[in-house]
Amino acid sequence: MTITHHPGDELLLAYAHGASSEPVALLVATHLSVCELCRRNVRDMEAMGGAMLSSVEPVAMSEHALRAVLSRLEEKAPESNTPSPAHSDVPVALQPYIGDEFAKARWIAVAPGLAHIPLIARDGVRARLIRAKPGAGVSVHTHRGEEWTMVLTGSYHDATGRYLPGDVQTTTPDVFHRPIANEGPICINLAVTDAPLIFKGLLPAVIGRIFGF
Amino acid sequence: MERPLADATRLNALVLMVGRTRDAGAFKELFDHFGPRVKGYLMRLGCSPAIAEDLAQEAMLTVWRKAALFDSEKASASTWIFTIARNLRIDAVRKERRPELDANDPTFQIEPERPADERVDWVQAEGRLHQALAHLPREQALIIELSFLGDKPHSAIAEELGLPLGTVKSRIRLAMARLRSALGEGA
Repeated sequence: MTITHHPGDELLLAYAHGASSEPVALLVATHLSVCELCRRNVRDMEAMGGAMLSSVEPVAMSEHALRAVLSRLEEKAPESNTPSPAHSDVPVALQPYIGDEFAKARWIAVAPGLAHIPLIARDGVRARLIRAKPGAGVSVHTHRGEEWTMVLTGSYHDATGRYLPGDVQTTTPDVFHRPIANEGPICINLAVTDAPLIFKGLLPAVIGRIFGF
Repeated sequence: MERPLADATRLNALVLMVGRTRDAGAFKELFDHFGPRVKGYLMRLGCSPAIAEDLAQEAMLTVWRKAALFDSEKASASTWIFTIARNLRIDAVRKERRPELDANDPTFQIEPERPADERVDWVQAEGRLHQALAHLPREQALIIELSFLGDKPHSAIAEELGLPLGTVKSRIRLAMARLRSALGEGA
């Protein structure tokens, strides 16, 4: 997989420092599973976190803290009940949200050739899957905030270029774009927005309101 | 600041000792060093003293339980414990699912074994990172600090500082380029 579009340092840094909200963390984790370069980057950012932890002003633990912890050393660790990930085309980070088969997930039709699945919304930041048949796409829109789109299968293009599996396109509020799925395998994207999209024209705006785009 | 390099070597050795021989003395020393730092870190992130105390104890218990999994080729002891504290806080305070990469992911691309001369000595690297962090231009250091000790996306940091989002992003990029070169990975 040749990935040419990566999430910016600011997204990776927030993830490494535990500051990203769940929708953004989902996008970053999904990208990391296929991108060694960004994994290295996050590892370096965690090393910064480690260096910064050692310079944090210490705050004394309670008087009995050590004894309390020592008395629990023999306690059995809580069993982790995470099922082992299924072999499938769905990245592991996504499986808790939609199961392990794209085809069996609960797609909601939005327009001809276009379907979506809302995944999570936290404080106005939303993650959704968008599935587009070749030639289908989302109407011309821009964003109040930013939008990050990661290609999971297939590919799409807009005026700024072509996006292939693993790529993350970052779109800022000044860009109007109209992503269209390319010929070939069906295009499934993970899209995260930190504010509602703004559509050009009346009809798409209505669709946007109904479907929460 | 303390002597980070000497400390880091010692701290790594202590975690390895706990992992190999369940050495309670080594654990106590780790507890004395990291407990108050983890508590301080969590309080800076807005946890109440009581919650920070509980989570710091929980973090140290996790250190005991998982010490055998500590891999000094992948991280220093501080980094490893930082990630433990970070994850516990997200689970406990934000009550969110924490999407993580998972090496068992069938779509995961296996990282090729790095040639010996490209391996990072994380203890050395920590010393260099301390230096590099201390020498970051003030405006970059501020944003890195807000990212580490805040719980906010960069857009909120930009708003708080009254800066355009693009400026915050470019300061993060510049800071990361310096820190990466301190790690010997080029800009």
